Amino acid sequence: MDISLERQIASASRSVEEARRMSYNDPSRTGDLVEHISVLADLRQKEGDFRKAEGLYREALFRVQDLRKPDHELLAGIYSLLAYLYDRWGKMDLAAQFYEKALKLSEQHGFQDADKAATIKNNLAMIFKSLRKQEKAEQYYQEALDSFRALYGEENAKVASVYNNLGVLYYANLDVDRAQSMHEKALAIRQNLNGSDIDAADLSQTYINLGAVYKAQGDFQRAEECVDRAKKLRASANGYAPVARRSASLLLDRSA
Amino acid sequence: MREIVSIHVGQCGNQIADRYWRLILREHGLNENGMPKDGSSVSANSNMEVFFHKVRDGKFVPRAVLVDLEPGVINRIETGEMSKLFDEGSIVRKIPGAANNWARGYNVEGERVIDQIMNVIDAAVEKTKSLQGFLLTHSIGGGSGSGLGSLILERLRSAYPKKKIFTFSVAPSPLISDSAVEPYNAVLTLQRIRDNADAAVILDNEALFRIAKSKLHRAPNYMDLNNIVALIMSSVTASLRFPGKLNTDLGEFVTNLVPFPGNHFLTASFAPMRAIASEGQVRSNFPDLARETFAQDNFTAAIDWANGVYLSACALFRGDVKAKEVEENMASIRKSLNFASYVPTGIKIGVAETAPEGFASSGLALVNHTGIAAVFERLVAQFDIMFDNHAYTHWYEGAGVPREKMAEARDTVADLAKSYRDAS
Ligand SMILES: Nc1nc2c(ncn2[C@@H]2O[C@H](COP(=O)(O)OP(=O)(O)O)[C@@H](O)[C@H]2O)c(=O)[nH]1
Ligand SMILES: [Mg+2]
Repeated sequence: MDISLERQIASASRSVEEARRMSYNDPSRTGDLVEHISVLADLRQKEGDFRKAEGLYREALFRVQDLRKPDHELLAGIYSLLAYLYDRWGKMDLAAQFYEKALKLSEQHGFQDADKAATIKNNLAMIFKSLRKQEKAEQYYQEALDSFRALYGEENAKVASVYNNLGVLYYANLDVDRAQSMHEKALAIRQNLNGSDIDAADLSQTYINLGAVYKAQGDFQRAEECVDRAKKLRASANGYAPVARRSASLLLDRSA
Repeated sequence: MREIVSIHVGQCGNQIADRYWRLILREHGLNENGMPKDGSSVSANSNMEVFFHKVRDGKFVPRAVLVDLEPGVINRIETGEMSKLFDEGSIVRKIPGAANNWARGYNVEGERVIDQIMNVIDAAVEKTKSLQGFLLTHSIGGGSGSGLGSLILERLRSAYPKKKIFTFSVAPSPLISDSAVEPYNAVLTLQRIRDNADAAVILDNEALFRIAKSKLHRAPNYMDLNNIVALIMSSVTASLRFPGKLNTDLGEFVTNLVPFPGNHFLTASFAPMRAIASEGQVRSNFPDLARETFAQDNFTAAIDWANGVYLSACALFRGDVKAKEVEENMASIRKSLNFASYVPTGIKIGVAETAPEGFASSGLALVNHTGIAAVFERLVAQFDIMFDNHAYTHWYEGAGVPREKMAEARDTVADLAKSYRDAS
C-alpha cells in the first residue's frame, strides 16, 4: 500500500482517538471529534476500506444526534458525506436515502448554502437514474439546474454539467431531440469557459455525447465531425490528469 | 507479542472487569494507575504486551474496551481506585439503557453505538503487532451485555474472521435473578455465541453462588462471584503472560477443547477456592490442589455429571509446582474422569511460574463436558413456559425481534443441548 497514505491514516487515527478522549467528558467537543472522524473516513475511502469509512461516519452521526443542543448543519453535512460514500460504494438505495435526509434537513432549517443543495440534487438525480426512477431523476436535475442558473447565470461550468447529465438521461430514454438540445447548451457553455474552469475531458465528453445524438438521428456527417473533435481534444490533453474531486462534489454522468 | 483485547459489556461485564483488572495489575506488579510498583520485579519477567499497551510516560494501559448503556458501573470504576487506568477513548457509555431487554440492546440502542464500539476496537487492534484474539465478559440474562454483546460478537466475527473470540458468559439463575425475561435474553444470546465465538466459558450464577457460599461461610455478593471469575480468566491466559514450560494460547485451547464446531461451551474450575481476603498466602499440597481443581462441585456451571462425559480437558497449574508431581497426580486424575469413548483421553497440561497474588500455587481446569446440556435445557424449559403463554414477547416484537426469531433461537439452543446429549 501507499506508504504516505498509511502514514496519514495512522496520524488521523491518533487524532480521532485524542478527540474521543476530549469529548468523553466534554460533549461540547463533539464537533472537533466529527471533524477528525471525517478526515479519517475520507482516508479510509482512499484506501478502499468502505466498511471502516462507513463505521466512522456512523459514529459521527450518532454522536451528533445525541448532542443536547441539536446541530442541524453538522448533521446534514454527515448525511451527505455518508450518502457520497454509499454512492461510491455502489449502495444506491442508501445513498439516495441519505442525500434526501440531508436535503430535507437543510430545507427545514434553511441554513444550507444553495450551491451545496443544488449539488446534492444533481447527485440524487444521478442515483435515481441508476435506480431506473426516471421521473425523480429528471425532476432533481431540473431543480439543480434552476438553482445553479439562479446562482451563477447561464455561463457556468456547473450549469453545463447538469445540462450534460440531463442530456445523458434523455438519450437513455430515447428522447433524442431533448438530448440534443441539452448537449448543445452544454457545448455552448463549455466552449466559452475561461481559465481554471476549462476542462478538456468535459468538453470532449460533450462532443462524444453530441456525436451519439447525431448518429441516432441519421446525421452521420456531423456525428463524425464531433467524434474527430473529441479525439483531437483527447490527444492534445494527453498527459493531463483531472484533479481528484472533493467529497460531496458534483457528480458527472460520463456515460454516453 | 500475541496480544489480547478484552471487551467488557454491561453491568455484569464491567463489574467483572473491575475485579479482573485489579487482579491482573497485581499479577504484573502495577499499581492502580498502571505504573510499575517500586521494586517490583514481576513486570520485568512477564510478557506485559499481552494485556497492556505501554505509553510514553511508562504507564501500562489495559488493552480493554468498556461498554455500557447505563453509566453507573463505569462511573464507579472511573471514580474508584482505578480512575486513571483506562483510556477514556476506549470507554463507550450511553444512555438510556437496554432495560433488561435483549432486543433493545441488540437493535434499538445497539444500532446507535455499535459503530463507535467497533471503531474503538479497531483502534485497539491497530496498537497490536500480532493479535491473537478477544475476551468478552458479559451476562447473558440482562439487556446490554446480552443484546449489545451479541451484536458485538457478530460484528467482531465478520471484521476479524481469523482471530479467536472467547466469551466469559454469566448465565442467569432464578436464585439471584433480577427479572423474569432472563431466559429469553439468555437463549437469544447463546445462539449468537454458538455462531460467532470460538469458545465460551459458561459461568452459571447458581454454581458461582454455591461455590462462594460454601467457601466463604457467608452470603456472597456479586463481587465475591466476580473474584472467582477473575481468577479463572487470569489463569486461562497465565501461560501466555508468564514464563513456564507449557504455553497454551487461545488457539491451542480451541484445538484441544473443541472436538466439534459449535460445541465450544466450556466450564471451568479454580483451586484452591479460599476466602481471598484472608491473611497470608494460601498454601496447598499438590495432590489436594489437583483433586480440588477437578472436583465436580468446584466447577462454575451446573453440569449434569451423572449423564454426561468429558469431551476434552485442559489443566493449568501456576506457581510452586513440580513437574514430577504434576505428572504423577494428573495420571490418576485422568483415569478417574469419564471421557467419551471416541476422543483422546489426555488432559492437556500447562504450567506458569507465577501464581495469582495470595496463592503459593493454583490450579485451573477448563473442560468441555456433555453434561453442560443441562444448563441449556434448563434455560429452554424456562423460555418455553413464558413463550407458550406469550408472556412479555411483545416487548421484543416492539424492539424488532418477532416471535419467529425468538423461536429460531430457542430451537438453536435446544439443538445445541441435543447435540451434547448425543455426544455422550
Ligand atoms: N456474576 C455476576 N452476575 C451479575 C453481575 N451483575 C449482574 N449479574 C447478573 O446478570 C444478569 C443481569 O444482567 P446485567 O449485567 O445487570 O444487565 P446489563 O447491564 O443490561 O448487561 C442477572 O442474571 C444478574 O444476576 C455481577 O457483577 N456478577
Ligand atoms: Mg442490571
